Amino acid sequence: MLKRVLRSNEFVVLLIIIALSLVVGSINPTFFTIASLFDLIRASNVYIILAFALLPVVILGGVDISFVAISAVASYGTHMLLITRGYEGGLFLYFVIGCLIGALAGMLNGFIITKFDLQIFDVSLATQTMWYGFTLFFIGATSNFDMPDGVVGYYSSFITQVSNETTGVTGLHVSIIYVIVIGIFLWWFLKYTMIGRGIYAIGGDKDVAERTGFNIKKITMVVFIIMGVLSGFAGIVQSALSRNFNPTLFIGQNLDVLASVILGGAAIKGGRGTVIGTVLGVILTQIIRRALVLTHIPSEWQKFVVGIILIIFTVIPALNEKRRKNQGRTTDLVEAMEEA
Amino acid sequence: MAEELLRVDGIIKRFGGVTALDDVSFSINKGESLTLVGENGSGKSTMIKIISGVYTPDEGDIFINGNHYKKMTPIDSIKEGVQVIYQDFSLFPNLTVAENIALNDLIISGAKTVNWKKVHDFAREGLEKIKVKIPLNALVGELSTADRQLIAISKAILADAKLLIMDEPTTALTRNEVKALFKVVKELNTKGIASIFVSHKLTEVREIGERTIILRNGRKIIDEDAKGLDVKTIEYQMTGRHIDTSSIEYSKPKQDDVLMKVENLNLSHGFFDVSFELHRNEVLGITGLLGSGRTELALALFGQKPADSGTIILEGKEIKIKSIFDATSNGIGFVPEDRIKEGLFLPQTINNNIAAKVIDTLKNKFGLLDLKKKVSLSEEWIKRLNVKTPTGELPASSLSGGNQQRLVLAKWLAFDPKVLILNGPTVGVDVGSKADIHELIRKLASEGMGIILMSDDIPELMHTCNRILLMRRGRIVEDFQRETTNEEDLNNELVASDVEEEAKR
Repeated sequence: MLKRVLRSNEFVVLLIIIALSLVVGSINPTFFTIASLFDLIRASNVYIILAFALLPVVILGGVDISFVAISAVASYGTHMLLITRGYEGGLFLYFVIGCLIGALAGMLNGFIITKFDLQIFDVSLATQTMWYGFTLFFIGATSNFDMPDGVVGYYSSFITQVSNETTGVTGLHVSIIYVIVIGIFLWWFLKYTMIGRGIYAIGGDKDVAERTGFNIKKITMVVFIIMGVLSGFAGIVQSALSRNFNPTLFIGQNLDVLASVILGGAAIKGGRGTVIGTVLGVILTQIIRRALVLTHIPSEWQKFVVGIILIIFTVIPALNEKRRKNQGRTTDLVEAMEEA
Repeated sequence: MAEELLRVDGIIKRFGGVTALDDVSFSINKGESLTLVGENGSGKSTMIKIISGVYTPDEGDIFINGNHYKKMTPIDSIKEGVQVIYQDFSLFPNLTVAENIALNDLIISGAKTVNWKKVHDFAREGLEKIKVKIPLNALVGELSTADRQLIAISKAILADAKLLIMDEPTTALTRNEVKALFKVVKELNTKGIASIFVSHKLTEVREIGERTIILRNGRKIIDEDAKGLDVKTIEYQMTGRHIDTSSIEYSKPKQDDVLMKVENLNLSHGFFDVSFELHRNEVLGITGLLGSGRTELALALFGQKPADSGTIILEGKEIKIKSIFDATSNGIGFVPEDRIKEGLFLPQTINNNIAAKVIDTLKNKFGLLDLKKKVSLSEEWIKRLNVKTPTGELPASSLSGGNQQRLVLAKWLAFDPKVLILNGPTVGVDVGSKADIHELIRKLASEGMGIILMSDDIPELMHTCNRILLMRRGRIVEDFQRETTNEEDLNNELVASDVEEEAKR
């Protein structure tokens, strides 16, 4: 059991995070401050929720790129709907409407995929373009900075805070609660429900899953509803934090999120992926981003470094697989050699 | 008096104009083991699908546990305790052993959530029922074929199987694993669970079944105690023709004309210090159990898994084989064991498949592909190898197993190799096609090609090879001349390595 943990992808990512933190911290000690930690958490939260949205799709064996557009249409659409009607309340109603829009948009993906038996990527390529286009054309083309009274202070809703002469007040933002609640729910859902196990089963072998009696259409729909709801939710959190609602929210960031999910140990061909790994994957990406700033390395390097790490992470499992294949059925041989 | 479990009576099944099953009747008792044998297209898979409810017979009756069915659905069949284990075992490689075993039950019971403790208890019980030990937390994808098969069996037993049907269960197993499998099934037989093996391997038929049924062209030819049948009879009854091996003309290699010489070839985890000579006009057999290193040797000679050290000399010149490209550019051809995955472009036309290896020679003066040349080349090979197809423009996937194997051969023969390596060239091919392929191999050798044949099929080796090398634990341990050995000796030697290994355990 211990061996399994030590060899797991999550553990490797955790080691990299620790090693990287030690290096960055030794170059720039401000990295080890509470303020810096709170800041890291705050920056990670939204991306963790987005990665949660994508994780079930990846386990199912697909790649979706439309979830960012769903975030945009859900958050911007909800905001424009409420703000033009003079809404001055808090975020709760935003979440209700935004998640509903997200769910519907996700269902559209799921419907097209299951109805016509299409590839997830192909459909999401179309719906991504469609939703950004829809938002810009029908809802509005410019960022909106008007905030309802109940939302204005959200960016500084801290559970606890620290103050520092140079950086000012920094706090642990409430959005970490969402991450924890959603994370626990998703972990339970993936591990303990039959639909959750069905997602892994389909990702492992779709034909066998069908023969075994899993309802592939239903499970696919559930996966996309989850994706839509969490994307919409993340969109609203991000907009409220940055105090502007933007019709092109997250545009071009879908592949960064995918990269984090893969870094967290999910297999792009499906069947593998965990909640904890995904959280670590996002944190690692965020630390790299920060590390480069704190160590004064030009920010252009960030993507390059993430890319290199991704290459390493895709090569290692492939190498393991190859080694296993090479040893193949010759276990007797190995024993024979050990005897000799 | 044994109790009857299943009886099929006068089953007729037609597909369009073809009669797949023509008035077939048989029965099986509780705890009985039956072997179902037949060539491709003999109707054995159709029969299995009728018993499992996938097909509805056009005429005839099915009785299971005394219940009469005219039409039976797959659900009916499962409820009556029929469990079919297909060749892919229907397992999830990314899930654990425990979950794979328990999933069926969870789905059938309509569970919404998973109780992992129950899953593990259930799986443990399943494995105990067939008396095997496999770690419950291991991922199925990391297990051997034999283990996966045992998991599939324990799944079936947990689903209250009364009749276990296994489709070609021994194809990918070593002899020890086959023995272990038979033991498990025999044990189940004593508990009253009946079993049907669908098999191609004639030598195994007598080992497994108490009773053998042979189907030919949709008709039942034989239904009797396996003990009374010898391989020759089974062969004859399957094909309807005597496969005469007495008048075979073997190629006569010239002993002084060495085509290829291999010296001290090594591959870690594969084979050690392998040296041999291949003469012109020679068919050299290399045999050994699964895991003896013969497959690795084949792959090394073809550059797919290059050797770590050693020399290979072809026509007096030393060559380096570090990649498949090196091998083919030196004139070495390779017919892989898994023709579907490695040998053919299944969705492509037969013509394209044949031309694939020699596309460079089919250029016209503008450097473009000469389609007429391609078609005429392809037609020539279709004719020479007797590939059964109305036209070369059909996709390779439209061919039957035996014909696909001929197509792989055609692809390599069009390339005119100096040395042709065949790895299990007739695995999963029916007896009739097999004899044709053997004849072709001998003919190619007599025309001057050097052929290396990797196989664990003893009769195949005896029918085709001039010389046979036996591998054991990665080394060549014996060199047999065909004239001075016989099937029995060779078989004993092959199995001896098994016994030796067992003694060590």
